[in-house]
Amino acid sequence: MALFFNQLINGVHVGSIYALIALGYTMVYGIVKLINFAHGDILMVGAYTIVVMVNMLGLHPVLSIAISVLMCILFGVVIEWVAYRPLRASPKISSLITAIGVSMLLQNVALLIFSPTPKPYPIQVNVAPLQFWEIQISFTTLLTFVVSVVLMVLLQGFVISSKAGKSMRAVSEDTDAAMLMGINVNHTITMTFAVGCALAAVGSLLYCMAYPAVSPTLGSLPGVKAFIAAVLGGIGMIPGAMLGGFILGIAESLTKGYISSQMSDAVVYGILIIVLLFKPAGLLGIGIREKV
Amino acid sequence: MKSKSKSYLLNVIFLALLSIVIFSLISGGVINNYYSSILVTVGIAIIMTVSLNLTTGLLGQLCLGHAGFMSIGAYTAGIITKQLQAAAPDFPFAWSLAIALVAAGLMAAVFGFLIGMPALRLKGDYLAIITLGFGEIIRVIIENLSVTGGSAGLSRITRMSRAFSENTKLSSAIQFGIVFWIMVVVVTGIFTLGRSRHGRAIISIRENEVAAEATGIPTTYYKLLAFTLAAFFAGIAGGLYAHQIGILTPRYFDFNKSIEYLVMVVLGGMGSITGSILSAIVLVTLPEILREFANWRMVIYSLALIIIMIFRPSGLLGTREFSLIKVWDSTANWLKNTFKRKENKPKLPFMPHYDVWEDSPVLETKNLGIRFGGLVAADDINLCLMNNEIVGLIGPNGAGKTTVFNMLTGVYAPSNGDIILLGKSIAGKPTHEITNNGIARTFQNIRLFKSMTVLENIKVAFHTRMKYSPVSGMLRTGQYNSEEKGMDIRARELLRVFDMEEVADDNANSLPYGMQRKLEICRALASNPKVLLLDEPAAGMNPIETQELMNTIKKIRTRFSVAILLIEHDMKLVMGICERIYVLNYGHIIAEGTPKEIANNSEVITAYLGIPENEKQEGHTTC
Repeated sequence: MALFFNQLINGVHVGSIYALIALGYTMVYGIVKLINFAHGDILMVGAYTIVVMVNMLGLHPVLSIAISVLMCILFGVVIEWVAYRPLRASPKISSLITAIGVSMLLQNVALLIFSPTPKPYPIQVNVAPLQFWEIQISFTTLLTFVVSVVLMVLLQGFVISSKAGKSMRAVSEDTDAAMLMGINVNHTITMTFAVGCALAAVGSLLYCMAYPAVSPTLGSLPGVKAFIAAVLGGIGMIPGAMLGGFILGIAESLTKGYISSQMSDAVVYGILIIVLLFKPAGLLGIGIREKV
Repeated sequence: MKSKSKSYLLNVIFLALLSIVIFSLISGGVINNYYSSILVTVGIAIIMTVSLNLTTGLLGQLCLGHAGFMSIGAYTAGIITKQLQAAAPDFPFAWSLAIALVAAGLMAAVFGFLIGMPALRLKGDYLAIITLGFGEIIRVIIENLSVTGGSAGLSRITRMSRAFSENTKLSSAIQFGIVFWIMVVVVTGIFTLGRSRHGRAIISIRENEVAAEATGIPTTYYKLLAFTLAAFFAGIAGGLYAHQIGILTPRYFDFNKSIEYLVMVVLGGMGSITGSILSAIVLVTLPEILREFANWRMVIYSLALIIIMIFRPSGLLGTREFSLIKVWDSTANWLKNTFKRKENKPKLPFMPHYDVWEDSPVLETKNLGIRFGGLVAADDINLCLMNNEIVGLIGPNGAGKTTVFNMLTGVYAPSNGDIILLGKSIAGKPTHEITNNGIARTFQNIRLFKSMTVLENIKVAFHTRMKYSPVSGMLRTGQYNSEEKGMDIRARELLRVFDMEEVADDNANSLPYGMQRKLEICRALASNPKVLLLDEPAAGMNPIETQELMNTIKKIRTRFSVAILLIEHDMKLVMGICERIYVLNYGHIIAEGTPKEIANNSEVITAYLGIPENEKQEGHTTC
């Protein structure tokens, strides 16, 4: 029983990180219908920023975190501006390929600057874990869960009730109509990327606190997982990303605990396939039937 | 025609010379091992890219698991040659390689079929993700099986560059020859398939799936066919890879590998076979050329990728083809000229014979109804169409007119009631079958196969009336030639009826609006229907075009002897050409009769114009 609860807690831990990253995928997909392959690499940008700020420049961690958030936003916005905007009118697959190109570019530039050797992540919280009988909850787990949930709730509120959030929903529903209603589509898309990347920066912080080794390919794995979480829950839906993230995280750690860690990927993909076969638009997604 | 066959001949000579020159350069040691292995890698990448282009470019379905099929082929082939060599050391390697490659292709095809069956129900990004999932599951399973060597991999597979001769240079040259000619065969096979009726069927699904089904294309079958064929070729490429490298690790075939090939397809131009070849060559050699820049090379590579995509979003060649590769045509023509084979007689599309009794209806519905959840969209619909009759179906917006069409053509399965076509029930049958049985339709919002030519649009509709198989299409047999010629003749005939012959080779989307409407009718007629359903044919037309359309519809009825059921809001047209009219409101037929009767029917006037205020107060209620 203790194993079950410990794995469950681990699952919630990684799951909330996946969910946070998945939000970035889902928001971008919702608004420009693009699988932003470079989103995972934004995590890497955030992580290296912290390494540079704390280890090399000796800045205070809190200040470094703020700078890393800004850095991620900057990258996200610039990437959208340079690589995706020129292709907005082209077939979606073209921007998918530039997204892949951007992802490779970021990884390889990081490789040039920082070498493939992993760097230790400087921010750690050393607080004794909570202990209930044999069940352990580390402070990082608690922090991760609370931070993720608070951010997700804030984001949902932002999208539903703020003016900016409303324009985001309008653009995602019908870009042309939104434009005719006087919404600046370009600004809205930029803002979506910015919000998504800010969340990725926080995701990066939480991820690296759990796995404190920073390498150029750091973002690939959580990136793919988060993306799957987004699809699982229903891509384009913010609550879907949360749901997908938690399901994925929990399924993954339970498999690791009870079956084998090698099979965890197979289980994750298996769940994805089964869900998509029965609910082609994801758990919370609403399938749109083509009108004849 | 003469210059065409000349250019084909040139292609064959070019390819033969190319292979001979490279062969001798490798066996002579001018091209060293390193470069010859790059050439082999290029060949394998071309097979992978061109086969992926079949699903992604021609069929238009995004697939992110192509490396998974490659890995199945690679492991199958590797295990087979290893086992054969262990069991019978004297068995010649060339034979065991041949067996292994065929088995590799078949095994991958089986998996392609099994995965495609459920996966192809999804579309677009979701299909991409589910194929990514399957690809990764294949990898994890291979990693955990003992027969595949687990994550350590399968090693000591006989390498082609060593196996054929003591002389490694000669052996490398033979390896190149094998890969080169397999590549040529695969590429020409996919190229010719793309230009057969089967290729047109596949492309029509990419262009407009709903219209393809309504034109008589069994879309599920063709999706699976394309997917399975692509997997087959990827399996062969995998088998070649296994015997090039000699050791297989599951990690090599992860989804980054699939993406690598997808990048090649998109960069070359989706749907362009020669574009795929070009980009496979460029993208395999580019990192090698940049090798001396060490760490910078991948940066340059990814930058190049981004820049090319931004400046050429539809890829290097778009959907165009670079015409040096029409090899098979050339060989066929060359053989024909050499052996003076007789010309193939054109075989005209088979035109089904319909048993029509003058007094019984061609199409009849009995208490037809459909509900979506709680909403009753149509209920108790009793329609009846006699031979050669023009009947109108009118009603206010949202009355359920198109829903009736969708039930008649199998787009929706009716919840209750029956549809009888020529004495047989067709309710709930798949759309393409209904089309084959004699109902054709047009759409409210025009659905043409936009990037195909006018002629090809028509030819897609002949699909069900022709017989030659995919293999015959790939090999361009006599049957292929005569049937294609027949289709060409019939299609041009049909276009002549509509005065559209001179635009036959234009792209469908370059036509003016009125012509596009006409082409859609023309395409529907090509499947040789007994009943033609026209969904708002005059929508968006000016009065002159509408007048012309009325004449066309009358002409169609006599010339093709079809019964026509049409939905239309233009009352001048409806009253002008319909013999009978049904009026639909809130999913019910509220009136039926001649145009005159309908025009004076009070219920119809109410449905269209509403109830006058003074009558409402007298106790009328709207229902």
